[in-house]
Amino acid sequence: MGLDLIFWLVICFPLNVAFLASAFYQVLILSDLESDFVNPYDASSRINYFILPEFIGQGLFCALCLFTGHWIMFLLTVPVTCYHVMLYMKRQHLIDVTEVFRVLNAEKKFRIAKLAYYLTIIIITVFRFVCDALKIAYSDLLCFGFYILTA
Amino acid sequence: MGTENPGRPTFPSRPASSPFGAAQPVTPFSSTGPVAGSEPPPYRPTPPAPPQAATPFSSAGPAAARPGAPGFRPAPPGRFSDPSIPPPPRASNAPPPGGPYQQFPAAPFPPTTQQQQRAPMMGQASQAPPFPASLPAQPQMPFVPMGSPPSQSAAPAHLGPNAPPPTFQPTFPGYPSKQAGAEMQAPPMHSNFPANQGNYGPAPPAAASPFLSHQGGYVPSPPMAPPVGMQQPGSVPPMGSVQGLAEDFNALTMQTRPGTMDPLFDPKELPRPLEGDVESKNLADMYPMNCSPRYVRLTTSAVPSSQSLASRWHLPLGAVVCPLAEPPGGEEVPIVNFAPASVVRCRRCRTYVNPYMTFTEAGRKFRCNVCTLLNDVPSEYYAQLDATGKRVDINQRPELTKGTVEFVAPAEYMVRPPMPPVYFFLIDVSISAVRSGMIEVVANTIKSCLDELPGFPRTQIGFATFDSTIHFYNMKSSLTQPQMLVVSDLDDIFIPLPDDLLVNLSESRSVVETFLDSLSTMFQDNVNLESAFGPALKSAFMVMSQLGGKLLIFQNSLPSLGVGRLKLRGDDSRVYGTDKEHGLRLPEDPFYKQMAAEFSKYQISTNVYAFSDKYTDIASLGTLAKYTAGQVYYYPAFQSAIHGEKLRHELRRDLTRETAWEAVMRIRCAKGVRFTTYHGNFMLRSTDLLALPAVDCDKAFAMQLSLEETLLTTQTMYFQVALLYTASCGERRIRVHTMAVPVVTELADIYRLADTGAIVSLLSRLAIEKTLSQKLEDARTAVQLRIVKGLREYRNLYAVQHRLANRMIYPESLKFLMLYGLALCRSTALRGGYGDVPLDERCAAGHIIMTVTIKRLLKLLYPSLIRLDEYLLKASVPADDLKSVERRLPLTGESLDSRGLYIYDDGFRCIIWFGRVISPDIAKNLLGADFAAELSKTTLGEQDNEMSRRLMRVLEKLRNTDRAYYQLSHLVRQGEQPKEGFLLLANLVEDQMGGNSGYAEWMLQISRQVQQS
Repeated sequence: MGLDLIFWLVICFPLNVAFLASAFYQVLILSDLESDFVNPYDASSRINYFILPEFIGQGLFCALCLFTGHWIMFLLTVPVTCYHVMLYMKRQHLIDVTEVFRVLNAEKKFRIAKLAYYLTIIIITVFRFVCDALKIAYSDLLCFGFYILTA
Repeated sequence: MGTENPGRPTFPSRPASSPFGAAQPVTPFSSTGPVAGSEPPPYRPTPPAPPQAATPFSSAGPAAARPGAPGFRPAPPGRFSDPSIPPPPRASNAPPPGGPYQQFPAAPFPPTTQQQQRAPMMGQASQAPPFPASLPAQPQMPFVPMGSPPSQSAAPAHLGPNAPPPTFQPTFPGYPSKQAGAEMQAPPMHSNFPANQGNYGPAPPAAASPFLSHQGGYVPSPPMAPPVGMQQPGSVPPMGSVQGLAEDFNALTMQTRPGTMDPLFDPKELPRPLEGDVESKNLADMYPMNCSPRYVRLTTSAVPSSQSLASRWHLPLGAVVCPLAEPPGGEEVPIVNFAPASVVRCRRCRTYVNPYMTFTEAGRKFRCNVCTLLNDVPSEYYAQLDATGKRVDINQRPELTKGTVEFVAPAEYMVRPPMPPVYFFLIDVSISAVRSGMIEVVANTIKSCLDELPGFPRTQIGFATFDSTIHFYNMKSSLTQPQMLVVSDLDDIFIPLPDDLLVNLSESRSVVETFLDSLSTMFQDNVNLESAFGPALKSAFMVMSQLGGKLLIFQNSLPSLGVGRLKLRGDDSRVYGTDKEHGLRLPEDPFYKQMAAEFSKYQISTNVYAFSDKYTDIASLGTLAKYTAGQVYYYPAFQSAIHGEKLRHELRRDLTRETAWEAVMRIRCAKGVRFTTYHGNFMLRSTDLLALPAVDCDKAFAMQLSLEETLLTTQTMYFQVALLYTASCGERRIRVHTMAVPVVTELADIYRLADTGAIVSLLSRLAIEKTLSQKLEDARTAVQLRIVKGLREYRNLYAVQHRLANRMIYPESLKFLMLYGLALCRSTALRGGYGDVPLDERCAAGHIIMTVTIKRLLKLLYPSLIRLDEYLLKASVPADDLKSVERRLPLTGESLDSRGLYIYDDGFRCIIWFGRVISPDIAKNLLGADFAAELSKTTLGEQDNEMSRRLMRVLEKLRNTDRAYYQLSHLVRQGEQPKEGFLLLANLVEDQMGGNSGYAEWMLQISRQVQQS
């Protein structure tokens, strides 16, 4: 039980907050690019800086879910991981500065979708964490009550 | 369609014994219809007595059982496609047996009948000496089409290779609108005899029955008056109603053939753009203050008023802009200087002042035509209004009267001091480059252009050469000899000298000249095979990144060393037709895209000259040009003796044409409309800003627009193209083109104002882009689908009101669209598959299509074919009178006469075609003593005689009409295979070739798809 709590609180939550922040930042830059506040060179290099770390972190998280036996979380994350791997294999994961305006809308939608996805994961994480914490607290309470009763 | 023709007395039942079966020398027509193998020969030979008009055909006529039986038509005399030949009088129609053919060298009819539908270029000519479309010149020998294809599906099978050149329906001398009676059911001949002229042999000399044994679908018919009783009743609506509609649209009748329901078109009445590109005058009349269409052309000079209307216009909606097009002779773009004030613009939408802005409140305010904001007139720009509300100084203000002006940009339009023109040359000096002679030509050309480089005295110049190492040249003005500095560390490129690699031309002139003189000898013994192209590119970038400028790359082999090395690819035919096919047309190494982006960022424009006879991966190299507003020049298997002249001219043009440096371009339009996608060679710096490190008059850019609001309330839409650039003289300027177009609510108006040239240009660019992400086949299908959708919508507009079954209708403004669509699908860039065009050539052609102006594109798609021998021979025609060589012929095999000399000019090369039986005089005079030799080894030079001088004059004239590219002439003799095939025959777009449809068949496909709704 305690391990689960640690998983939710120490690994899952901060990781996903980081992903969420990264996705948010990328969407932000893309909309800046759309309204001409940054030039495509800066925009793409800034976005590309975050892409690989995010992919790796996401992959690790997925693996971790598998190895710690959090099946539901694993099933939730594995499609995205596969998609990332596919993009990487096709060498389409980075923003191409020469064609960035042609793909701007698609990339933006993709990142907004990811934003929503990470948000969902965070909500689930928080929910599970609270549940587990409550469960533990409740069982502690029960134990405590039992202890009092028996004492 | 009635399958029986009761009213046709001339078609008796089939004679029991056909006179044709046996090769009777007397019979002029002996064809057996080879059509669709199993079918019985649809045509029966005519009885031996030839000139009987009354019963010329003994065949059973169009019996229902035999779908392939069309009526026989005698060839009308005037219907040959070569207009230069006066139609012979009708009476002369009688085919003198063996008449004109006697003189032909014995070339028996080729026994090639079984080879159907093979590309003539595949070397079949050896068996069948091509029979040129000699018909035009031989009116005495009317061929009557006989075995016309009954159905479309069967049509391909009909390509009797030795069908004599298609001479079409005699019954259709004119267009249907002129000749109502004539238009019934002509046997559609065209698809029958597509470009297989490689296969028709000249008639045998013993010509009593010239066509005796061959099975072509044609037999010469006896001379006869046009048969009156042959028309099938009722295949089309009466002509009267059609004529009434003439102003609405054009229409082509599909002729239903007897015995079948399969229609075809009369190839003769199909529209052909023999006049070349015609710029529409519509808009200029409506808005006289618009810029000239040579700068901006819209695909339709009307903006749909609502999204729903726009969605019914299935063709591209957009513009093609050539911001620096050469103004017509003598005209100059007025230059306006607002100093000391700033450029007058609308405060809100940043539109530049233009003729459509209105001044109010006694001249103190002006209303922006684009956003309708009322702006204050700057005090320096103030002028009173006269009684009519016009400014009193309007005549001194070209920006208020002309659609195209140039403003001198003040300092706020500069991010750095205006750059000088910079030329940096990166030259491959490996062994293959030395052997081809490229280095010498390049060095000499650069040297001869030094005086004409724009921007004297600020021009800067630099050189680097590379093989497996990179050589820089110190050209400091204090030196007498250039100093060579070699860098051999390819992994860690550095520049040996901080300055002096790029020097001021006027200061270091003598050093530069010394260098250019010695360049070709310096490396003549070089045996280095390698090419460190990538590192050399990087080092050139380091040299140029301070200033930007133009980088000219001369590359002769596949980059093999260091970063950016490339693999041989494109050899694998199995990739074609799979999902990986498009990868071949994309850069293999991301290095090239990255470099291109860096180049664009630092204002460097790259022109790639590629020369290799082997694969050089134009797809990768071309990327450099694509994103830097550059250009790709490709000279496959360059040999200085042959291609030197072309390189010399094109390099000279590249170096000396007026160039705009460090430019950006934006096209603005009023609210409600937005430009969404851009197509061409440039890089987008923001959503609507094109970065063009160097741009010149030969480049055009296309863009598509979309409606953002569901309904436009304004009456007029304004577009303004602004190009901010540094002129070679060092002045920062803004070139502004303004255009007003009406907003319309009717789809018919959109069609009426459509501009085929711009549509074709946009369609081709879209198709080329599609080949970068999909298969060639998909790109071709997309083009066809686009055209079909456009015509279907148009048909829906009209077909309801009028009975138009069996007619294909299309707007007058788009009458050439179908042909250009066909030509596009058969262009070098999109044609066929693996075996048809080498990968490099395909990519180079794609790059050309992405940059060229509309006029040049249309010429490339539908080149001109001109008959020359008359002009050359007729001493009476003054040599200056070149009118007779302006007459373009349809691009089909039957335009070619084996006694003629033709020139085929697509704007990029000329092909001079010598007919098989051309008079030896011509050949001798033009080619000199070795006229009988293999033409591929002969080059065309001026001989000392009138005829040759005349030819040179024609060539010069063709070259002068468009100087962007030099048309190198290739000589080809009729029947010289496979050269004739790929040089000329494959480019006769109206003829059927291999798997490609001919014009008539293409029209049929389209019209069917149009009607399948």
